[in-house]
Amino acid sequence: MQVNTGLANFSYAMVITALVLYALAMLAYACDFAFGKARLLATEPAAEPAAVKELVGVGASAAPAASPAAPVVNGAAEPPPAGRWPSGFWLRTAFGLTCSALGVQLIAILTRGLAEHRVPWGNMYEFICAITCMAVIVLVLISVKFRAYYIGLFVLLPVVLGLALDVTAVYTLAGPVAPALQSYWIAIHVTAMIIATGLFIVGAVVSVMYLVADRCQRRLAAGLPSKVEGIMAHLPSALVLDRLSYRTILFAFPVWTFGIMAGAIWADQAWGRYWGWDPKETWSFITWVVYAGFLHARATAGWRGRKAAWIQLAGFGCLMFNLIGVNLWITGLHSYAGLT
Amino acid sequence: MTDLQTPAEQAEATAALPETEASGPAATAAAAARSARPAGGQPVRLGLMGWLRWAWRQLTSMRTALILLFLLALASVPGSVLPQEGIDPAAVTQYYTAHPALAPLLNRLSLFDVFAAPWFAAIYLLLFTSLAGCVLPRTFRLVGSARQQPPRAPRNLARLPLTARFSTSLPPDEALAAAGRLLAGRRFRLRTGDGWVSAEKGYLREVGNLLFHIALLALLGSVALGGLFGYKANRLLVAGQTFVNQPTDLDVFHPGRLVGPGDLQPFAISLRSFTAKYITSGPEISDPASFSALLRYSSAGGTPSQPYNLQVNHPLRVDGVRVYLIGHGYAPVFKVTDGKGTVVFNGPVPFIPVSTNTMLSDGVIKVPDADPAQLGFAGVFVPTAVDIDGRVESAWPAALSPRVSLVPYAGNLGMNSGTPQSVYSLDTAGLHKLKVQPRALAPGQSLQLPDGYGRITFTGYRQWISLAITYDPGQVPALLSACTALAGLILSFLVRRRRLFVRATEGPNGTIVDLGGLARSDAAGGYETEFAELASQLCADQRGTAGEPAADQQGVPPAAADQAEPVSSDHDEALVEDEAE
Ligand code: HEM
Repeated sequence: MQVNTGLANFSYAMVITALVLYALAMLAYACDFAFGKARLLATEPAAEPAAVKELVGVGASAAPAASPAAPVVNGAAEPPPAGRWPSGFWLRTAFGLTCSALGVQLIAILTRGLAEHRVPWGNMYEFICAITCMAVIVLVLISVKFRAYYIGLFVLLPVVLGLALDVTAVYTLAGPVAPALQSYWIAIHVTAMIIATGLFIVGAVVSVMYLVADRCQRRLAAGLPSKVEGIMAHLPSALVLDRLSYRTILFAFPVWTFGIMAGAIWADQAWGRYWGWDPKETWSFITWVVYAGFLHARATAGWRGRKAAWIQLAGFGCLMFNLIGVNLWITGLHSYAGLT
Repeated sequence: MTDLQTPAEQAEATAALPETEASGPAATAAAAARSARPAGGQPVRLGLMGWLRWAWRQLTSMRTALILLFLLALASVPGSVLPQEGIDPAAVTQYYTAHPALAPLLNRLSLFDVFAAPWFAAIYLLLFTSLAGCVLPRTFRLVGSARQQPPRAPRNLARLPLTARFSTSLPPDEALAAAGRLLAGRRFRLRTGDGWVSAEKGYLREVGNLLFHIALLALLGSVALGGLFGYKANRLLVAGQTFVNQPTDLDVFHPGRLVGPGDLQPFAISLRSFTAKYITSGPEISDPASFSALLRYSSAGGTPSQPYNLQVNHPLRVDGVRVYLIGHGYAPVFKVTDGKGTVVFNGPVPFIPVSTNTMLSDGVIKVPDADPAQLGFAGVFVPTAVDIDGRVESAWPAALSPRVSLVPYAGNLGMNSGTPQSVYSLDTAGLHKLKVQPRALAPGQSLQLPDGYGRITFTGYRQWISLAITYDPGQVPALLSACTALAGLILSFLVRRRRLFVRATEGPNGTIVDLGGLARSDAAGGYETEFAELASQLCADQRGTAGEPAADQQGVPPAAADQAEPVSSDHDEALVEDEAE
């Protein structure tokens, strides 16, 4: 069937629009940090040593700082963040812009698919567009569910960079896909990979935030200055960030597992073997193993916290290498990225 | 609780380490060392059994599993960077020519066949031994603890990560009974004692986790099954030809370790016709749009032959074996008449595509029976020939105006030298090139050879397909194991194991009910909400009033319980257990 060029061009214009809106949303999030009142935005209470309490402005803890494992009673000095929705002009603007940009990007993806008469994730341009979109969906869901609006700026940063690269360097004209990709498994396998990747992106971003926050807290606790103290005043404690990141991975890992399984079934249909150590397969396996290592590290004494976070970031590095590096530098059966 | 621990953690626990901070690599080593030495620090002879036990404990520790997982990831990397024998042997040969010094070295390290390398096998076998050693005992313990009771309530509930307190006018034993009823209704496992109730829930988490790990073992077993009893083969089939699935009739045959020649299912397949469609516009112009091969096949049972339309993504299943379409090409048909006037060759010769976009193909014709000398031809097949500055180029992958150009040789083909020859290459050592005017032959045209060697006619062309034939008895078990693993994983992530303790004591103004909560393996948090909900439910049931926490304790009123932070560390576990025992 012929590609509908007009619709494909419309889709491209929508992606550009979404990109601009995301950039504006980022700006608004940054303004919130700059001009908004420093407040703990997290739903989850902080259970941190006294030094940290002062930092995040939740003072008046009844807990003796001596034993960190002891329960900390939040002495109701500050009420928990009210309501599900963002408060403050800048934050509301930022969140509103994020949601509208997301809507525009969804329209872009839908029209691209309609123009091509197929699932719109058949090449690298479409794939990056879809995973950035997924990352924003995760961002919105997490923001609302955990009232974690503070992650907006940091998640949008890679989204904007990725999408900007996507519409320039990676852009591929709309067209049909190779016979090997003409299967309903593309909808199952690639969709799972996209969802998992979106979740992993947010997990990695929050994990970096955790590492920075943790370092800041340790420096302050040791009486040293910290460059990021100003921003940290807007963020919850490292512990809360750590858990948020972990939750995303807990969600992403089974989805990724499912995606690999679906890919194996598809490979069996298309190539006659369910596993053949093709570079893409190898790297999704490596990614899976490193994230499994992360989950084990979380359950191993002496590996929790920072070490585990680094393992997660290593897993994310493998994920990104699989997405970019393998497509660009290594040829294999999966070389359909549409790049030459 | 111990059933949640790995053997190594247990070893640490039995070594009576007081603090979690002391656990970890150094501590495990220390604990092991301690168990190997008496207090005086004098080394004792461990004996063989002792050493074995020590090694086993090391192998099955979580830390070893972690390290082996990373080793496995790391070991896979060269397999994706270097060309692999099992995936693309031609690329390995190319690598040898490009890096003549380095390649043999890499080969000695099995780096061209990483996933079959002994060191790779060593890593995953160690990992899976570790897994078995870790998981099987846990499974037995889980089965054994199916009816196990929750631990006793600790004396001081205020030391738990989640606490709440209220007072009620009910007498203590009735308050406890009411709490027990509510918790039992919520499917908590209960244990009651003097003035306390303890409740535990979420055993399915451990079930899910074990299911996941055991399924991984089963997955490895399934892969091994396929490796032992399965086979892979390739067959190039020209339109009009038939082949039977027997080792002698296959081009490439990779049997599993325990597969003999007689173990193949002898079905027969013939190719009727093959059609390729190409994209006619847009950036992907001349890329393939669809392939379709019309086959007839008859299964080994001797059933009459049936038609099948073989396509990419639509393999043929016959007698438990699957047949895939993995390639296609052209086989020009030649007729060769030798110097004596005898027709010494007449048939299709499969040519190999050099470019998938134009299907320009290379091939070789060998005529060993020609007189006065053996003949050989190196040929190029062009499906849609166009003349570009006097050179013939292919403009389109479909055969719109097919042409063949040939370079003839005469002499000795070297086919009896003993070394096996590829049918796709010509050994020109014993041959000399015949001088002819270079010319592109159209179907029906001939090339007259000089010096009375004879004549070759390009009579037309046929299509060929290449088939991959795979038999893998481990496939269904592998799929089932993988699905079980996924289900176990999701189960273990959804369920969290948690405890709730209730103590009721007589106070000056009625009964004071203290609640304490603890979640094991709840690093993601989330129990606090349930705890708060349960606490307020209990309070409401007993018409209690939320009490101020006592000054010496850090209790939380139910409404604020969700503010408290559960810290589910081994420390807290130890705390509960210490006080309970
Ligand atoms: C093929 C190797 C292995 C893989 C791919 C693997 C994978 C995983 C994954 C994905 C989880 C997360 C599930 C969960 O948290 O419930 C997990 C948890 C766990 N694994 Fe493994 N595992 C492997 C080997 C081992 C070994 C050798 C041990 C024993 C030392 C082990 C012990 C555990 C334990 C105790 C948990 C539970 C952690 C928790 O409570 O969060 N695993 N494993």
